[in-house]
Amino acid sequence: MNLKRIVALAWKEWREIVRDRLFFALAFIVPTMLMLIFGFGLTLDVENLPFAVVDHDRTPASRDYAYRFISSRYFDFKGYADDERTIDRLLADNQVRVALVIPPRFDERLSRGEPAPVQVIIDGTFPMRAQTTQGYVAAINAAVSAENMAQALSTARGVPLAEARARVQPVKLEVRYLYNQSIKSIWSMAPKLIMLIMMLSPPFLTALGVVREKESGSIFNIYSSTVSPGEFLLGKLAPYVLISAANWFILWMLCLSVYQVPFKGDPLFFTLASLIYVVCTTGFGLVISMLVQTQVAAMIITSVVTIIPAVLYSGLLLPLSSLSPGASLIAHSLPPMYYGRIVTDCFLKGAGAAELWPDALVLAGYAVGLFAIGYLLFSKRPKS
Amino acid sequence: MKGFFSIAGLRRLRVMTWKELLQLLRDTALMVFFLYSFTGDIYVAASGVSMQLRNAALAVLDNDRSFASRELAGRFQPPYFKHAGEAASPDASLKLLDRGDAMAVLDIPPRFEERLTRGEQVPVQLQVDTTNSVLGFLASSYAAQIVGRYAGEVAMLREGLAGSGGPMIEAETRIWYNPNQYDPWFMGISELLTVVTLFSILLPAAAMVREKERGTIEQLMVTPLTPFQILFPKVIAMTLAIVAGTAIALFGVLGPVFDLPMRGSLPAFFLITALYVFTTAGLGLLAATVSRNLAQVGMLTIVILMPMLLLSGAWTPLEAMPPWMRLAAGFSPLHYYLDSAYGILLKGAGMDLLWDSVLAMGALGVTIFGVGMAWFNRQFG
Repeated sequence: MNLKRIVALAWKEWREIVRDRLFFALAFIVPTMLMLIFGFGLTLDVENLPFAVVDHDRTPASRDYAYRFISSRYFDFKGYADDERTIDRLLADNQVRVALVIPPRFDERLSRGEPAPVQVIIDGTFPMRAQTTQGYVAAINAAVSAENMAQALSTARGVPLAEARARVQPVKLEVRYLYNQSIKSIWSMAPKLIMLIMMLSPPFLTALGVVREKESGSIFNIYSSTVSPGEFLLGKLAPYVLISAANWFILWMLCLSVYQVPFKGDPLFFTLASLIYVVCTTGFGLVISMLVQTQVAAMIITSVVTIIPAVLYSGLLLPLSSLSPGASLIAHSLPPMYYGRIVTDCFLKGAGAAELWPDALVLAGYAVGLFAIGYLLFSKRPKS
Repeated sequence: MKGFFSIAGLRRLRVMTWKELLQLLRDTALMVFFLYSFTGDIYVAASGVSMQLRNAALAVLDNDRSFASRELAGRFQPPYFKHAGEAASPDASLKLLDRGDAMAVLDIPPRFEERLTRGEQVPVQLQVDTTNSVLGFLASSYAAQIVGRYAGEVAMLREGLAGSGGPMIEAETRIWYNPNQYDPWFMGISELLTVVTLFSILLPAAAMVREKERGTIEQLMVTPLTPFQILFPKVIAMTLAIVAGTAIALFGVLGPVFDLPMRGSLPAFFLITALYVFTTAGLGLLAATVSRNLAQVGMLTIVILMPMLLLSGAWTPLEAMPPWMRLAAGFSPLHYYLDSAYGILLKGAGMDLLWDSVLAMGALGVTIFGVGMAWFNRQFG
């Protein structure tokens, strides 16, 4: 290892990056831009669901009941429909996602103290949305039922309404939300976006940078020089790690300033773990670039092996507890899951090295492993 | 576009398309990867991943240890909840939540049963980890339903209302198109469309820039080929490859393994897929004409690809996005492709419902391709 050669190589690489103005700008703009776009746009909340009502009863009671849905912020009322056939069409055409059908004699049944059936039709193409919608509908129906029961009890037994309410609901659930008291979805999303973006950008930069030399043939200058493989890799990758680390810092600051996510953890540990992660994802790019010969293949393989795990198997959109054993194995064998936990717990739970050292250790092992593979795959005497 | 309809023009298109296909097929690493993406990757995503809340770890802090408290705690059952043991004290339960060993803690107060039988209203506390806001919300919503049902039964017994029913709302919920909420249908289609999008942007962009970088584009420019005859065959070749990949995914994985219904017209689905690939390929070509080397294309395509993939509604419900974002989604071809693909495969929708999506997609495609051609002409014309 000759430090002078490493520095010279790093300096050469840095100049090459800086001189490609568009590439240099994109290297810094892309992460910030993605952070802003996803921060504002990527939300798993289920709100403003377009819905329609078919009211066969047309009484004040049925209108009152429908109004419970209309006034809810979760639903976006699109109007009354004439019959179920219209609903068919509206659902198939994505005009509405939920429909409420109130059958005839709704009012009559309720005032006689009998249960009144209603029908709720939900578009099930997106199971998560359907599941959440079902939760909203059940909550509204439960509230209406409890209110009706309390009123019936109050008139039948002659007790005050407040007491009747307590008697029809003997157990009351009080929910306390921990770590994210007002359940802001941006608080859970923004930290994980750091994980997502730092999984995408460094491998791309690195893979393209290394393969560029292979494809243009300038790698033969390296092959024929006195530079050793280790020196080449260190010098080549240093600028990319540096750029990515700077990007990580910018994203962290964006989380704190633009999205106002509280940071409760240990900044020192977080910085250290993040640097390991950046080295790790840079290593991803390195290994890919060693395996392929063309930039085209490097670009496509990098995007498939980074985007899909970072989106699907990292806990970003999909709960890790819901993964099947096979998918869970994939999640555990890739870095995003570990860093996802570090980033979320550092921000929201105030965790530090004491809780998260195993995850950081896995990442470090990963980084060492990737660089070792890259080192072994790099040969100054290519076969062909 | 002169010569497009002549015999020589058609022959040139055919030859160029064949050249592009050969070039694609000879990149072995890429082809292996291409096949994996349309089979293995879709299989894993469809079989292993679910966006629903499953097996949320629930710990119980039972301060009563009575029949009633055990009855209530016992109602937190799979698939939504799984028991993560008992917490001995409030401190212990906080620790479980901190470490992520439990997602929620049900805290049943002392004298729960006694107070219930005396007719009091008893509060029960649920502490939920909301570091993931969606899961936190779902968990508390299910908990509320479970406790509500339990409370209802207790009230019925206590007030002697059992049997008569009372003026309640009895909602019959029907979930259409996917009645059992079978995740693989949704995840499989979403993943397929994601893979189609990835390749539709990356393949043509990469093929284009490679010619630019190697300088072979100059050779093509001195031939009698018009810019259209150079660009269009690339799109045709990629479209053929990707439509073939889609067919493999549909008939090799989603159909036989997951019993995807495919209710609508399949020819219509493939035609729309071809139209979509054409449109999206135009985006890739546009990125390629703007940039000089592959590194630039790589970064540019991420900028186009990532927002398109994540904000068109493939993985998240669009309704909750801010209005300006929803407006932007209207410019994403994937948004229309999603509507059409789900419409045809799951809902059995026909052209009478889908014509607007198809029209919007076609308009976007022609515009994008036109702009790309104009750029190309300015660079090399």
